[in-house]
Amino acid sequence: MGDNKGEVEGANNFYDIQHRKYDVRKGLFAMNLQIVCAGIGGRGVLLASTIIIETAIKAGLKAMASDEYGMSQRGGSVVSLVKVGNFASPLVGRESANILLSFEESEFYRNLPFLKTGGVTLVNTSRQLLSANIERLLKKRRVQYFLLDADAIAMQKGMIQSSNMAMLGFFSAFDITPFSCDNIKETIRQKVKARLVEKNLEVFQAGYESAQSFQLIADSKNQ
Amino acid sequence: MREVMIGNFAIARGLVEAGLELAAAYPGTPSSEILPGIIEFKNREKLAIHAEWSTNERCALEVAFGGALAGRKAACMMKQVGLNVAFPPLLHGYAQPLKGGLVIVSCDDPGPQSSQTEQDTRLLAAHFGIPVFDPASPGEAGDIAYYAMKYSCEHKVPVIVRSTHRVSHARESIELFVPGSRKVKLDEGLKLKGKGRIGIVTSGMTCSITMDILDELNLGDKIGLYKVSRVFPLGTEVIGFVNQQEKTLVLEETDVALEALLDHGFKVLGRRSGHVPSAGELTYDNVRDIICRFANDHGISVPEFNADTSIEDALKEIQIAPRPPKLCAGCSHRASFYAMKSAFPDAVFPGDIGCYTLGISMGAVDTCLDMGGGVTFASGFYDTFAQDGTLKPILASVGDSTFFHACLTPLYDSVLKKRRFVLVIMDNSTTAMTGLQPTPQSGITADGTSTYSIKIENIIKGFGIEFLRIVDPYDIPLLLRTIKEAYEYLETESAGPAVIIARRECLLFSKIREEDTRDMARLVAECTGCKICIKTFDCPGSYFDEEKKKICIDEGLCIRCGMCYYACPTSDEGKSLKELKKVRNEKKRREGREDSKK
Repeated sequence: MGDNKGEVEGANNFYDIQHRKYDVRKGLFAMNLQIVCAGIGGRGVLLASTIIIETAIKAGLKAMASDEYGMSQRGGSVVSLVKVGNFASPLVGRESANILLSFEESEFYRNLPFLKTGGVTLVNTSRQLLSANIERLLKKRRVQYFLLDADAIAMQKGMIQSSNMAMLGFFSAFDITPFSCDNIKETIRQKVKARLVEKNLEVFQAGYESAQSFQLIADSKNQ
Repeated sequence: MREVMIGNFAIARGLVEAGLELAAAYPGTPSSEILPGIIEFKNREKLAIHAEWSTNERCALEVAFGGALAGRKAACMMKQVGLNVAFPPLLHGYAQPLKGGLVIVSCDDPGPQSSQTEQDTRLLAAHFGIPVFDPASPGEAGDIAYYAMKYSCEHKVPVIVRSTHRVSHARESIELFVPGSRKVKLDEGLKLKGKGRIGIVTSGMTCSITMDILDELNLGDKIGLYKVSRVFPLGTEVIGFVNQQEKTLVLEETDVALEALLDHGFKVLGRRSGHVPSAGELTYDNVRDIICRFANDHGISVPEFNADTSIEDALKEIQIAPRPPKLCAGCSHRASFYAMKSAFPDAVFPGDIGCYTLGISMGAVDTCLDMGGGVTFASGFYDTFAQDGTLKPILASVGDSTFFHACLTPLYDSVLKKRRFVLVIMDNSTTAMTGLQPTPQSGITADGTSTYSIKIENIIKGFGIEFLRIVDPYDIPLLLRTIKEAYEYLETESAGPAVIIARRECLLFSKIREEDTRDMARLVAECTGCKICIKTFDCPGSYFDEEKKKICIDEGLCIRCGMCYYACPTSDEGKSLKELKKVRNEKKRREGREDSKK
């Protein structure tokens, strides 16, 4: 139901598990995109979703977000739903999200029901592989998934709290217009505290670059 | 100029642009960000607005009411259950003609997500004849806040703006105007014409969700849609719309305000007819199911949404760590509760509303009724036990902000009636759960300027309470001894309530001092794998590693307060605490023997 909607225009290959090439997506335009950002408190989930909607709004698109967080506590679940395009509400239904950005592994599983058939997900995890059952499920649902050790990247740069930037960097490599590397970087410069900008951008860049190497691995595997 | 902001800031902006002069609020999710928003825009626009955190919602409403009676444009903000606290002025005051304007913003919590009950502000407003508006998005919330102030000034009556958490906490780009120059036309009326057979009447965020779903299901040309913004008094056009339809579905949160006001008998379907669940949030999925069924029931064929259950099947094997709300790692409340529970495991624990309600998971909170309810519950329990001739330990807990909000009256009542219970006031110097607002003890006002600090201990002394101790909850043995001491005091002839102030600043606004930190290596090294600390202490800063069969420290969360050592039965601290518990028991036994000799 509604499969023809909320997808990236003209991007049939984008949803093909066999073609993990970013170039098929280059220059595409985000029409009616639904993104779920999921993680835990203190990991910058809300900052990431802010950067996504600000980037979209700067490009002249309509964008809204709805945040769900518990009490003022650290370590609780945080989910930010983002809708870009011609929507009235910021809420996302089951199996409706095009993209699931999981800033923490267990939140990936918890929020997987949001992701639609043919969706894309990026998971912050130290794992190399998902379990066989999950992999089978994702294949059946034609979901492209990317595992990224964003914590390790952030740690390497001495910025443990900035794994969200590594995630955004990787996401920018999808290059879904307007979420290009340059556009997101520009928003980061405006939204992140001045003294942290350079460090954050460094982590962002590392995330972006790890997407490039990921593509090579994925290509050699799949071709 | 445009700016991305949450619905609560949009409301603040709308009010400020409408010429707001006086604002009073008590924090409560999801309304807490409105007053800070007002202060932000007041500073930006360099306006003279009096903005305050009041001690409770009744104070907030009465202050704003006073301002409005005297000719000011005033507003007050609270959450839906906060409006209950403000009932006396609301019910009597709505009929007083205002010289100025009064907007009451009450934020509902469908679900409920962070309240004890769901409640529909619109229903109360309609019941008492107070105009009420129900915005469907952050942008509209800003417009409606502006419009409501004009409406109130024009009609000389208080006006309620009802938001919900999905509106208050959604973010979108909002247009900012020069104060006084916003042009608002109420966005109400026919959104989709339909074919006159079936239609939907809806308001609030549910309206926005409904529009997205009708679009998703391609029903836009088949089902009529009427959007209501002013729920009371309800316009006549919407009644005309319902008259034209064979059947109308009403979609609204949280209760049945529109459905009751439309009152078209069998023509109107909703919660009362069983077409909409009677409680709980109307999520995207809920609304989609309801609309699918409604369409199919009335001859419009729509494929029902079938959830792919293979997702849940595949997830079965994954151990998703449950994340129930927990006190933060190192929270001093956890130490207080641990001492309370250790002192009297079988006590009755009346609790209250705040972060510390989470003491429920440690078995140190038994009740949670309403703000201040803990003290009065303790009183009722004591009176009951006293009638039966027993003195059971009663250990009530309350936070500092809630103490000021609602506990003074019940407490001096208890003094007068010589009720014997222990009240632990968990003073973390802030209103932590709703975002660190100051309390009357903080010595600062909402905008950060300094003022008097009213000390809790002075109030307690003023009441004539004889037993008062101020303890650092991180000193668990001392707190435990103090609780035992308090109970000994309660056994004396002339006792009234005993009060212990467990005072340590909230970690969310004050980092732990270096001298208070401990080395955590011993905890891991000496762990025998008994898991008792997991069960009794429940700190997110540590977890049990099933492979190593040992406790592990989560370096990202643990603040090295070392309180968990007391929960470890093999550590020196744990053993010393066990000795402390025993001392009292032996004394009790000895006394028991002496009693039997007599």
